[in-house]
Amino acid sequence: MHEIALHNVTFSYGSQIVLEEINFTAYAGEFVCLLGPSGCGKSTLLRLLAGLGQPTSGRLTLDGSPITGPGLDRGVVFQDYSLFPWMTTGQNVILALNQAFPGKSKAEQAETAQAYLEMVGLSDVFDKLPGALSGGMRQRAAIARAFAINSPVLLMDEPFGALDAITRARLQDLLLQLWQHNSRERKTVFFVTHDVEEAILLANRVVVMGLNPGSVRGVFEVDIPRPRQRQDLYSDPAFTRLRDQLIRELNADVLQELDGGRTVQSAGEAI
Amino acid sequence: MEAVLSAGARVERASIARRLILSPASVVFVLLLAELFWPVPGEAYPAYLLALTAAVELVYLVRLSLVRRDKGVAAAGDVAAIIFGILLAWHLCTTRFVLVDKMLFPKPEPVLRLFVSELPDMLKGLVNSLILLVSGYLIALGTAIPLGLLVGWRVRVFKAVHPFTKVLGPIPPIVYIPYAIALLPSFRAASIFVIFIGAFWPVFINTVNGVFNIHKGLLDSARVLSLSERTLLFRVILPGAMPSICTGATLGLVFALVLLTAAELIGANSGIGWYVKNFADFADYQRVVVGIIFISIVVTVITWGTERLERRLLRWRN
Ligand SMILES: Nc1ncnc2c1ncn2[C@@H]1O[C@H](COP(=O)(O)OP(=O)(O)OP(=O)(O)O)[C@@H](O)[C@H]1O
Ligand SMILES: [Mg+2]
Repeated sequence: MHEIALHNVTFSYGSQIVLEEINFTAYAGEFVCLLGPSGCGKSTLLRLLAGLGQPTSGRLTLDGSPITGPGLDRGVVFQDYSLFPWMTTGQNVILALNQAFPGKSKAEQAETAQAYLEMVGLSDVFDKLPGALSGGMRQRAAIARAFAINSPVLLMDEPFGALDAITRARLQDLLLQLWQHNSRERKTVFFVTHDVEEAILLANRVVVMGLNPGSVRGVFEVDIPRPRQRQDLYSDPAFTRLRDQLIRELNADVLQELDGGRTVQSAGEAI
Repeated sequence: MEAVLSAGARVERASIARRLILSPASVVFVLLLAELFWPVPGEAYPAYLLALTAAVELVYLVRLSLVRRDKGVAAAGDVAAIIFGILLAWHLCTTRFVLVDKMLFPKPEPVLRLFVSELPDMLKGLVNSLILLVSGYLIALGTAIPLGLLVGWRVRVFKAVHPFTKVLGPIPPIVYIPYAIALLPSFRAASIFVIFIGAFWPVFINTVNGVFNIHKGLLDSARVLSLSERTLLFRVILPGAMPSICTGATLGLVFALVLLTAAELIGANSGIGWYVKNFADFADYQRVVVGIIFISIVVTVITWGTERLERRLLRWRN
């Protein structure tokens, strides 16, 4: 079981408060989507969950014990490309496999790596250097690497942002399949996205974050039974209702900001 | 289909031929040949010069037939043109007309003849020089890279060491030569030491910088994979710092070459630097020029080799 809890988590870079008083608990096996405007601290929050930083105050726990550093129990897909450019794509995945399953033979590792690359639609990049792949291909290879270690927790930072609609849909299905694969030992997933519909398609609950400082504005249960069919989703009143609700919540911040701008502008016009 | 292909090939061959004839290399080549075959009163035909000219032209033509792209062709042609131009100017200024000091600027033909006859001696000297160079340089690489990785990776060590590197790094290593010669038991040990010091700093400082400049995202990737210290060092930090290490190693090699020659000028009784200095003392400028040409060939070969090695190591950067 992998329950992840955040208690009063605050994080600042110097004097800039990036995250303020975040309280949230993801239940074991839950799929959580983080929605929020650019710069609200989603990546920062994921870094803290990954153990790459410590909160300025507050606590993050995994099954009750504090997160003190990175670990193989949490697979991470970063927002920007994170493959090692001096290794072939295959070697990148194998390196991760070696860490997670050190007992396996070289041939087995290579085979598994190739299988995961094929899963994300990359069948002939094994011997290519990351520099020879397109941005979207690199991102998919990084996803394959995170999937390959088969960790009970997945932290994904806008993993499908750079992909075309069809590839994105395929990878969403793959992710759900890997997540549901074994319902007794479901992964706990934190998934950052900008895309409201993607969040509703994937999540058990959607956390909406706001700007200045980054904080939780609302948590929304997605009450749509699985498996969720894309084509049916749009005609589902529950879907439309939730989507409008989420968009309103997201826009509350943006409108406030724009209104601020407009006031200044009109004051300028008055002069 | 075939007809089209062969027509295409013919057009290509024709255009290569045209480019060849009109290229600066060919123009200078013809001028040089004319100059060399036109007899100079009191001089025999310059057989060595002609042989050298033919050899350069041959290498150029072979390259031309191997290299497909225009860029490579143009570069090879320019290099050939410059070599021919230098030989032409040299012959004109010293042999055809005597425009420069006869003693300080020896004629090309006897210099080439001398080069060939002196080659065995110079190669023997080169072996002595290379022993010094390679020992000093390898010791520098072998210490500077591990230390640089350590200092770059461990912030605490860096903070402890940084003030010292700031003071010691910029001291020109040539100033150590007299002291090292006095301090160390043999000239050989002293030169190896000085070459080591000279090559050490650029390699060390660039290695530290290389570790600092590894993309933070890559280090995060490595951390979430919980790589062992060993794996982290050899598969992430070392390759990540490699571009910078190569820069440092190239700089270090240049320093090492300069210091080798300087050390030999000061205290050796063999070696390529000593060769030049020794004959300069006797005002034998023919042999001085021979020595300089030999040194430049050696340096060119070394640089060419290290560049290839560097390209291999950094293949992933395209
Ligand atoms: N290394 C850093 N040093 C200083 N400030 C930083 C650093 N990284 C992020 N920040 C700041 O923290 C805030 C949140 O950044 P973060 O990357 O978490 O946003 P985000 O929600 O992921 O945005 P996006 O959707 O654009 O990826 C931003 O204001 C950013 O300027
Ligand atoms: Mg982000």
